[in-house]
Amino acid sequence: MVGLLVSAMLVLGGCGVPVDPGGTLERIDAGILRAGASASGGLVVVSTPAAGQPVDVTGPLADLVEGFAETRGARVVWTSGSEEELVDGIEDGSLDLAIGGMTDATPWADRASVTRGYSDIPGADGRSIVLLLPLGENGTQSALERYLDEELG
Amino acid sequence: MERMGRTDLPPEQQEALRKAIRWEWFTVGYTIVTIALIALVVGGSQAMKTAWIEDMLSLIPQLAFLAALLLIRRPPSRTFPYGLHQVTETGHLIAGVALLAIGGSLAIESALGLVNAEHPAIGTVVLFGQTIWMGWLMVSVMAVTMIGPFFYGHAKSKLAPVLHNKVLYADADMAKADWTTTAASIIGVLGVGLGLWWLDGAAALFISLGIVWDGWRNTSMAVRDLLDQRALTVDSKKPHPLSDRIVQALNAQPWVRDAAVRVRDMGQVFHVEAFVVPHRGRVSVARIEAARAAIARMDWKMQDVVVIPVRELPAEADRPRDAPAA
Repeated sequence: MVGLLVSAMLVLGGCGVPVDPGGTLERIDAGILRAGASASGGLVVVSTPAAGQPVDVTGPLADLVEGFAETRGARVVWTSGSEEELVDGIEDGSLDLAIGGMTDATPWADRASVTRGYSDIPGADGRSIVLLLPLGENGTQSALERYLDEELG
Repeated sequence: MERMGRTDLPPEQQEALRKAIRWEWFTVGYTIVTIALIALVVGGSQAMKTAWIEDMLSLIPQLAFLAALLLIRRPPSRTFPYGLHQVTETGHLIAGVALLAIGGSLAIESALGLVNAEHPAIGTVVLFGQTIWMGWLMVSVMAVTMIGPFFYGHAKSKLAPVLHNKVLYADADMAKADWTTTAASIIGVLGVGLGLWWLDGAAALFISLGIVWDGWRNTSMAVRDLLDQRALTVDSKKPHPLSDRIVQALNAQPWVRDAAVRVRDMGQVFHVEAFVVPHRGRVSVARIEAARAAIARMDWKMQDVVVIPVRELPAEADRPRDAPAA
């Protein structure tokens, strides 16, 4: 029984379990990660663009998102907005990911998937910072958490 | 424990009761460990949450059995002239209603989750420096906890008929069916892993309907016993054979023209009212007393017995099914 389970874990783990029911990770792998940002102290810095220019998002948390996209061979297209606007974007499928000053006590947990908390991000100031993903996109969440564990661990 | 109310337990029942108490304590311990283990991995899976709550609910009949034993050993008193045997059935009723109510609310929750297409979120954990998907931990924990109920379920279902204890019987019955819950939660989580988000809600719905079914069965069984339905076998499937044996034994007496009996199940022991129509319309106290003692000797469950001489048998009283109605 246990042997069967371990082999099942290895086989299925190898073919990318968990799979996203909504195909987010596949879309990211196809080249574009649509990320939303809400400014938060030194963690996420959003500079207001000149008219017609794309939003520029910097800061340690934004760098991590850029780094994740890079490992998947994708580039990040940023959108800025309030947390609620970002969560709306995640819900209606126009965003793949959202960052800001959200912590593991975030009230958005029933509308978006919330990653584990990371307190080692520069600028986190001891807060346990989380990223938001479309609800139940477990493949993306696993890939992202694995990346963050490697970067911050 | 050697006595139950005014009932002296024969050695076989004493032994069975000792074993049943040991098994119930073991089960309570095992279930608490299971609940603690699942708490570590319950995550965003509705199926896991439902299975977890089901484990908590399974403690109720176990604790009801143990708590009832403290009370039913008391002898009858002026205040409770029939003893406290029906505490067992009261515990059974409480367990049944709890299962019914919580199972129902879980079923509604799972169904709503499916209708609203809520995708369960299951992330990762870091274990021994490795990032692994929490789903694998859920499946492992559930697979490990699947083993216990097989053993204690079968052990208890052997003891329940010996003790004629319906709470123990129901508890054993649920334990034997527990693997379906565990298997369903594993299928739900693996479904989520494969991107089939609805399998989690479907598994949760399956588990909660199982709880509702257990609740319904136990509640109706307990209510029927509390309403003094005629005594049935421990699985509540057919009339208890003792009723027929009592009437046959009475009918074999030369002074008895006809006999019938009302037997109610007090939880583990029976309360017997035997009606006899004596030949020539008269009978001595000594014969009544001898008949009463003879019935009490037939089985350990029957020590609260009355024999009532009557002119005509009450229509609702039990008589052997092949006998012509008087």
